[in-house]
Amino acid sequence: MSRSRLIFVVFHLTIVLIGAVHLRVSASRVFYRWRRAQVVQDNLKLQLGDKQLKLEHLLNPSVISERIEKEPDPGK
Amino acid sequence: MKTKPLIIAVGLLLIIVFGLLSWRIFYLQYYCADLYMDKSYGGTHAHICEQPQRGRVLDSRGRVLAASNKVLTVFIDPGQLPHWDDVMETACQLQPILEIPAPKICDIVHAKRHLSYVPIKTGITEHQRRAIRESPLAGVGIESKWERYTPMERLTSHIVGFVGGDDDPNSADKVGLAGIERRYDSLLRGVRGENVLVVDARRYPIGSDPQQTVKVKNGSSLVLTIDGTIQEFARSALMKQYADYQAAAAAAIVMNPWNGAILAMVSLPDYNPSEFSKADPDTMRNRALTDPFEPGSIFKPIVAAIALDGGFVGYDEQIYCENGNYAKYRIGEWAGHRFGNLTPKEILTYSSNIGMAKIGRKMGPKHLYEGLRMFGFGARTGIDLPAENPGLLKPTADWSSYTVTRIPYGHEISVTAIQIIRAFAILANGGSPVTPHLVRAVIDEQGVVKQVAKKSNLAGQLIKPQVAHWIVRQALANVVKEGTGQQAALEKWQVFGKTGTANIAVNGRYDTTNYTASFVGGAPAENPAVVVLVSIRKPNKALGKGYSGGRVAAPVFREIMQNTLTYIEKNRL
Repeated sequence: MSRSRLIFVVFHLTIVLIGAVHLRVSASRVFYRWRRAQVVQDNLKLQLGDKQLKLEHLLNPSVISERIEKEPDPGK
Repeated sequence: MKTKPLIIAVGLLLIIVFGLLSWRIFYLQYYCADLYMDKSYGGTHAHICEQPQRGRVLDSRGRVLAASNKVLTVFIDPGQLPHWDDVMETACQLQPILEIPAPKICDIVHAKRHLSYVPIKTGITEHQRRAIRESPLAGVGIESKWERYTPMERLTSHIVGFVGGDDDPNSADKVGLAGIERRYDSLLRGVRGENVLVVDARRYPIGSDPQQTVKVKNGSSLVLTIDGTIQEFARSALMKQYADYQAAAAAAIVMNPWNGAILAMVSLPDYNPSEFSKADPDTMRNRALTDPFEPGSIFKPIVAAIALDGGFVGYDEQIYCENGNYAKYRIGEWAGHRFGNLTPKEILTYSSNIGMAKIGRKMGPKHLYEGLRMFGFGARTGIDLPAENPGLLKPTADWSSYTVTRIPYGHEISVTAIQIIRAFAILANGGSPVTPHLVRAVIDEQGVVKQVAKKSNLAGQLIKPQVAHWIVRQALANVVKEGTGQQAALEKWQVFGKTGTANIAVNGRYDTTNYTASFVGGAPAENPAVVVLVSIRKPNKALGKGYSGGRVAAPVFREIMQNTLTYIEKNRL
């Protein structure tokens, strides 16, 4: 095997190895970002649920009745 | 040559060393394999338990009756803060974020120093969570837990119920302890999940292990037949009377007579499910299901229907009512009335005890008992709520010679409110049995409807339709037009119903000062949309405002019926 051919093979082997490591690291990084995004999404869902519950608490029929009873009668 | 023994010695030494190393390798690989595999696995994997979100409970219009949401709690692990200076430093850093004075945080930690989990503040905001995460705080953690909310609080407390800790102290799961939460616990609960993640040296997730991961399965949601608005109509009307008459307890039910769907169910006194641990246990009973009572005159239409259906009495038959004193059986009339000859319609209109006693005698114990069993008395209705009481209908072998004359006007029998309203629903729908129920649909976590209650579940006939129609449209409508239930009348709709004022038995004798005032009926009489029961226990007679079913319960019935029919009519348009 000539020297240039050996260099060519070693060079390509190195490139493939570096590429494989890079892909692996990228996959890990993407997974990490995906996982973070999922946690953020879950948090947003929870915040939305929390707001919905607060709204339900303000709008439920018994609270509305109470508020109507407390309001002064405009006819009087 | 002196080198040979040296070579042999070194060779032997090497053999021994390599032998020992080989043994060690064998020992580690064979005997300690599991231990080191676990250690290695633990270093590269992280297990995250995921508690399922408990399903929602919604009313028939989609309003939330119960739902779970995560609550974040900031805690300190004193084990990670060996010196008191560290605790003080952490407390000073937490002070501006949590808006709790640092000395107070130090006091909380000091009181529980021996523990590894000291909660500082529950219910922190997202902003606070982010601030803590971004600060380099030692020994501080954030825990998230599902918390159950009941936005309607007391309004639906007896229907929805509440959740509490599992019996197992190691379990973080909450289980339903009352109401729908208990009855449908297995559906609402969901399945706990476990995420297995591959982590790097900093414990950041870089992959997942799908083979070991168990996906969390959130609980299914329930859509109830209850309508929050009708529930509020019922509760506010009942609450007013309950307070005005200083009653001991009260119950009201609104039911669709065509399919047994419960539109509203109120029991007073009630409690706040968010603070159930502080509530008086006596307030936690759903009296509409758990408390049997002697129904009194509201029972008369049911016995009359059985008698007419069996041909034991004719529609126009004249029954002599002994001028108010049936001495042989020691029966008198309500408020000292004296009736002569009455038809079954008049007996119901004027609520004659003697007339009903005579109808009972015509039927005889066997037919009366069988008819009442057919209507479901003495057995649970099968409503999907826990703790239902079957009431008491004694077998005929235990009846005295008086019993056949007492049961027809609602004495010597115990029934629950749900049994009575079911019986009236049967009369209202033309004689078909219905099962009272509260769940309209079950929806899984993907939003797919899994089970739906039928719009109408009428099957078979308990009594002939013409008998049921006669009782509702002729006799019970007349009770409201001319009889004891005039306070229940509405201008726009023809109401039918029956009043009841039953003595309460105490130590085997009827107490003449305490009564149960009831009214059951429905509207419109031609094609009933709803049936309503109102029962008020022990209205204070000493107030001098009255205590009869017509006086105490009928106005509540009228208010509930008026509001409900207007609401239904407007929502149909």
